[in-house]
Amino acid sequence: MRVIIIGAGEVGYHIAQKLSDEKKDVVLIERDPGKVRRINENLDVQVFQGSGTSPKTLRLAGIQDAKLLVAATDIDEVNLLACLLARSLNQHTVKIARVRSQEYIQEKSLFSKDILGVDLIINTQSMMVNTILGLIDVPGASEVIDFLGGEIKLVSFLILNDSPLAGKKLSDFNMHKEELLIGAIVRGHKILIPSGNDIIHPLDLVYLVIKKSEITQTLKRLNMKAKVTKNIIIVGAGGTGMAVAKALDKPYLNVKIIDNDGRKCKDANLQLKHITVIKGDGADRDLLREENIGDMDMLIAVTGDEESNVLISLLAKELGTKRTITRVSKMSYMHIVSAIGLDTVINPRMSAVRAVLQYLRKGKIISVAPLREEQAEAIEAEALETSDIVNTPLSKVDFPPGVIVGAIVRGDEIIIPRGSTVVLPHDHLIIFAMQQVINKLEGLLTVKLEYF
Amino acid sequence: MNFRLIFYLVAVVVIYLGLSMSLPLFVSLYYNDGSALAIVISMLVTCGLGGIVFFMTRGHHDYYLNHRSGMAIVTMGWIAAGLTATLPYLISGAIPNFTQAYFESMSGFTTTGASILKNIEALPPAMLLWRAQTQWLGGMGIIVLSIAILPFLGIGGMQLYKAETPSPVVDKLTPRISSTAKVLWKIYVIMTMTQIILLLFGGMSLYDSICHSFTTMPTGGFSTKNASVGHYQSIYIDFIIMMFMFLAGINFSLHYKLINGHPRQFFRDPELRVYFGITGIFILLVFLDVYGTIYPRLLDAFRYASFQVVSIITTTGFATADYEKWPDFSQLVLFFCMFLGSMAGSTGGGIKIMRLILLVKHCYQEIFHIIHPHATTIVKLGNNPVSQTIIRSIWGFFLLYVAIFIIGAIALAALGLDVISSLTAMATCLGNVGPGLGSVGPMDNFAGVPIAGQWILIFAMLLGRLEIYTIIVLLIPAFWRK
Repeated sequence: MRVIIIGAGEVGYHIAQKLSDEKKDVVLIERDPGKVRRINENLDVQVFQGSGTSPKTLRLAGIQDAKLLVAATDIDEVNLLACLLARSLNQHTVKIARVRSQEYIQEKSLFSKDILGVDLIINTQSMMVNTILGLIDVPGASEVIDFLGGEIKLVSFLILNDSPLAGKKLSDFNMHKEELLIGAIVRGHKILIPSGNDIIHPLDLVYLVIKKSEITQTLKRLNMKAKVTKNIIIVGAGGTGMAVAKALDKPYLNVKIIDNDGRKCKDANLQLKHITVIKGDGADRDLLREENIGDMDMLIAVTGDEESNVLISLLAKELGTKRTITRVSKMSYMHIVSAIGLDTVINPRMSAVRAVLQYLRKGKIISVAPLREEQAEAIEAEALETSDIVNTPLSKVDFPPGVIVGAIVRGDEIIIPRGSTVVLPHDHLIIFAMQQVINKLEGLLTVKLEYF
Repeated sequence: MNFRLIFYLVAVVVIYLGLSMSLPLFVSLYYNDGSALAIVISMLVTCGLGGIVFFMTRGHHDYYLNHRSGMAIVTMGWIAAGLTATLPYLISGAIPNFTQAYFESMSGFTTTGASILKNIEALPPAMLLWRAQTQWLGGMGIIVLSIAILPFLGIGGMQLYKAETPSPVVDKLTPRISSTAKVLWKIYVIMTMTQIILLLFGGMSLYDSICHSFTTMPTGGFSTKNASVGHYQSIYIDFIIMMFMFLAGINFSLHYKLINGHPRQFFRDPELRVYFGITGIFILLVFLDVYGTIYPRLLDAFRYASFQVVSIITTTGFATADYEKWPDFSQLVLFFCMFLGSMAGSTGGGIKIMRLILLVKHCYQEIFHIIHPHATTIVKLGNNPVSQTIIRSIWGFFLLYVAIFIIGAIALAALGLDVISSLTAMATCLGNVGPGLGSVGPMDNFAGVPIAGQWILIFAMLLGRLEIYTIIVLLIPAFWRK
């Protein structure tokens, strides 16, 4: 399968890496000779130096037989034009465009079949805002991923020493009536798909599958203080900061937004009703203390400078803030941020990669979420009538190692699967799988060949 | 550096080579030439040793290879391959001396075609096929072959590919490096087969056709006859071999483009045009020189002149005539052809035409700057700009090439070779051509070169084949620092 990616910035680069790892034929188009050289050295893909808006370059890159085009440059206009050109060069190419400007996104008809024919718009900012809002909803969680349109959530918690789960075998607490569904455990740098015999250690990050309606209950069982997040401080009044602030602009919340830029502060004042706008340096210890940082439930560091974000969050932690959300864009930092004690890190580029993957797996697989450094994925899939997994007990299904069915959703009901559970057609499955076996799993979920 | 992975991959290459000995084994059994046992022992030793290393170093979680490991693997792989290939020669007694056997096998893998054999025809057919086969494998690259087969290497494969087929401009034909390697090998195999069939039409025996095709496509030059291609005295065979030498001297990605229906890109290639032009001019010069003086007939003069120029310029080294008897002017032209080499991305050796074009253009640019001190210029190849980094690295290559040539020639002279022999022996081995002039001429051999001299030439061949940088960096202390 040939995939053309335009723009080898962090987003394009990472999508290319991911797809090339999955043995897809990836062709990158990039303008900057320095980046071209870097890709040639680091990725097993083909690179063409040139503009993604040049029909000649697109033809050279093989648009005629490309299944997918991802326009991932930083410039909306380039991405949109590239999609337009791709549409005229090959009607059948699926087009994914990264669009940042809200104005364009609101013009729904622009992306319709008649004009651009973009199949998927990636807007990292709105994705990030949604992630942040999801995290605010579930106190104590370091990651919240929605499945079935938010009805089921995959929530990750850091297990502390005093947690009731620490030191317990998985099979132990599943004996109780209310079962807990642990799909994956992150321990240090490793991710494991647990079996009943695994023991949860303190400082593990566990991924739970929870129904939306049962979140509060579950949190109680986990000894998490189910206190609503009320006091929030946002550092950075850029696009993301403002979008989050607007969503949190409620009279019953105590939200502050800090920015160094006087003009941005004035804008914020104009646009926000109930939020306190503070002009100052987010990394200023005295300022943070003055604003009662120690009593805040959450600090959201979303300035344009990621190094500052990390330091601001660390500073806030030290001053007593309960939770921090830190925006980090560089992929190479992702490995270390949890090691230095930041609980939640959001990465716009990772969100973009996630969106592309979700789209690619579409059809049999509804939604995908890479977990931790992408060693594993959580997948939502519909059990097709013709696939190998239906109508047999799960223990009889030939799953590759490193795959676990986390939950089965049948209508309103969530079923915790056991070996004897039988999957019925049209059930939705939430599956955890290690990265290496994704391809095999995909095969398992697809339609069996029928004789006709 | 991940030494475990390095040894693992080198072991894979060695095992492949051991397995590839089954072809000469088959020939040996067919002709009953008495070397079958020697080949079986060689196979067992090779696969055994390779297997032991393979099992000791297997089980990797991470196949990440950096630039440096790539170069280390390629260099070590080539040295190990050279050792492997000496086994059949040594055990069968075809070449009892180790240095000479190593010279012969390195001359094979590097597609040089220089030989220490005094009487080639005395060797058993299986050994001659093995000689030809080493060239055939070395021409497209033993490491590239392994990449084509090993799917797990991914980007690591790219590092190996770059270290083994160094070219000023990286040319990736397909998105995946393993499929690029496969495509190149496919073209290589198809062209070799075509040549075998065409040679059969010329009345050559199947065995000789295979051996000669195996050494034409990699621009190697080993023959099964003492008089090289001249043995056959056939215009048709001369012509076919000449055509295929010339084709082998063309960048293989251009062949790919031609096959994929882009003849325009093929014929518009600036390097190809220069390649045509230079070859034409040199043929004309030699032709004018030998016509009337050596060959009274026009057709003869053209036939021998063109074959010899193509043979040397593509760094193959076949001979149809003893060009040492030609006038000095022709000999000098052929001597300079040894440096030229064919196109980048071909199987030929030498400095390569692409580099020369860029150097000349860069020189012109410098002169232009003297006339217009404020002009801004860039060096372009066709319509593509060439970055200063590439130009710099080409100058470095050129300087190293000339320096190694001078040092090697002086060293050979110090060992007692005469002026002509030391100059041409060094040039011919560094350029992977084969025959030189003087005591190492087309009708002579390298047996008379002292042992120390043979080792110098072995090193020169390896430097030439891997285009200097890959080997030279291993000699720099900074390479081994963590």
